[in-house]
Amino acid sequence: MTTSGYIFLVIGWGIVLGLVTFAMTRLFRRTKR
Amino acid sequence: MERERWGTKIGLILALAGNAVGLGNFLRFPVQAAGNGGGAFMIPYFIALILVGIPLMWTELAMGRFGGNQGHGTMPGIFQLLWRHPAAKYFGVIGLLLPITIFIYYVVVESWTLGFSFFSLIGKYNGATTQEAMGGFLQGYQGIARNSYFNGIYWAYFFFIATAAVNYLVLRRGIRGGIEKLANIGMPLLIVMAIILVVRVLTLGTPDPSKPDQSVLNGLGFIWNPDLGALRNPKVWLAAAGQIFFTLSVGFGAIQAYASYLGKNDDVALAGIATVSTNEFCEVICGGTIAIPIACAFFGIAATQAIAQGGSFNLAFQSMPIVFQHLPLGNIFGFMWFFLLFIAGVTSSVALALPAVTFFMDELGWTRKKAVNVISIFTFAASNLVIFFLVHGFMDELDFWAGTFGVVLLALIEIVVFFWVFGKEKAWEEITRGAEMKVPPVFKFIMKYVTPLFLVTILAFWAKTDMIKVLRMEAVSPENRPYVWGARVLMLAILAGFAILVAIASRRGGFSKERNTA
Repeated sequence: MTTSGYIFLVIGWGIVLGLVTFAMTRLFRRTKR
Repeated sequence: MERERWGTKIGLILALAGNAVGLGNFLRFPVQAAGNGGGAFMIPYFIALILVGIPLMWTELAMGRFGGNQGHGTMPGIFQLLWRHPAAKYFGVIGLLLPITIFIYYVVVESWTLGFSFFSLIGKYNGATTQEAMGGFLQGYQGIARNSYFNGIYWAYFFFIATAAVNYLVLRRGIRGGIEKLANIGMPLLIVMAIILVVRVLTLGTPDPSKPDQSVLNGLGFIWNPDLGALRNPKVWLAAAGQIFFTLSVGFGAIQAYASYLGKNDDVALAGIATVSTNEFCEVICGGTIAIPIACAFFGIAATQAIAQGGSFNLAFQSMPIVFQHLPLGNIFGFMWFFLLFIAGVTSSVALALPAVTFFMDELGWTRKKAVNVISIFTFAASNLVIFFLVHGFMDELDFWAGTFGVVLLALIEIVVFFWVFGKEKAWEEITRGAEMKVPPVFKFIMKYVTPLFLVTILAFWAKTDMIKVLRMEAVSPENRPYVWGARVLMLAILAGFAILVAIASRRGGFSKERNTA
């Protein structure tokens, strides 16, 4: 894998994991109330 | 009769995620990414997610909740409520045709995954270690060829019946007792199995040290090394948008049916984002890390290129079983791979059947038992055509018109009806009412102008590049043309059948009044 491949992988995974974290923290915060 | 409701918020989101996460996440995505610029593909992919995927997810959830609370959970009734025109309900027939057509062939592919999960466990394909041998195994299973592995289509038919039975039982048990329960068990199981497979792939390294090029890292490079020149090719942008449709199951008419079982003030905004994020986790992280990287580690770069060009089915049913035979505990990993696909498939197929079931219940007043029985008998019969005419391109024809072209068309109609006919402000109020997150106001502009424009562009490009060729059957051999016509007649018959049922329901006064069942 090239350096730019690593960069794209980190950004791609970062976007997805960021989205998951955003949704799940809000979801479970609301659900617990 | 009081309308059924989802049991819990988590149950709803798992069911919606189960609808979205399907075979496309694990099979279609890696092939699309590898074949359309690698990492560069992810640029139009994420742009399409923001401009088309998320707006349509919110639109469909809001439309479904809006309709369901007035007693109409499917597109004919929802369009009639949003657009007070006698023709509106007939446009909605597309939202019944597409999911049931896709269900007819999807359930067949789903049954292959169940069959192959069983064959993995018992080691039936052990010894088929070349592409030719495994191709023979697959063709024997599908009944296309008779060989040392299979002497007929009996196994395939048995697993098809089993798969149809699972779908039937889930649908018969309804929303809370069937679909929600399936998602509550199936989705966590799917995610755990996917993560185990991801960890297994990432820890493979270079399986054969004498071939340093054949490594998992080079396989990940297939998915992620960016070829930025590909961004100048409009086909790459279309492939990315098409993948977003397929993966999120937007434009199918299925999300509306799920959302129609929500309460009037239940959140749809956060539910939509939670669904999208779960789907993207299963696609970009799990789907992108399993099949292509492991194929590259065992077959090398050139062979993986050929596998990727061979398409999703070859990757799943031909190449992956060979890979598993090289792994310690390969039978178990093979079972996990195919059973994961089966769960992904069944949680999506029940969603594809639900609009028709909901239509019969809402508009014709049928009981769930009667609706599910009729739909199951009809789709079972139609799926037989897919099974026996598979080699003649019957499934490919259904897939192009319903799964590729139809979904974009329905998405365009629904966003125009919601944001232009029903009205931007009212549509926005529907999306944001009860929202458990702040929906960025820029999406109001995106949904009104950008999403429809994006969809028109996709349709125009497809019309120019593919539609005429497909219509004229340029790639179909003369002996297969009657079967392709058969597929078209089937779709037209379903369309006409639903249109007649809409007319009957309308004559009975079903669409003329709002029925508050909340």
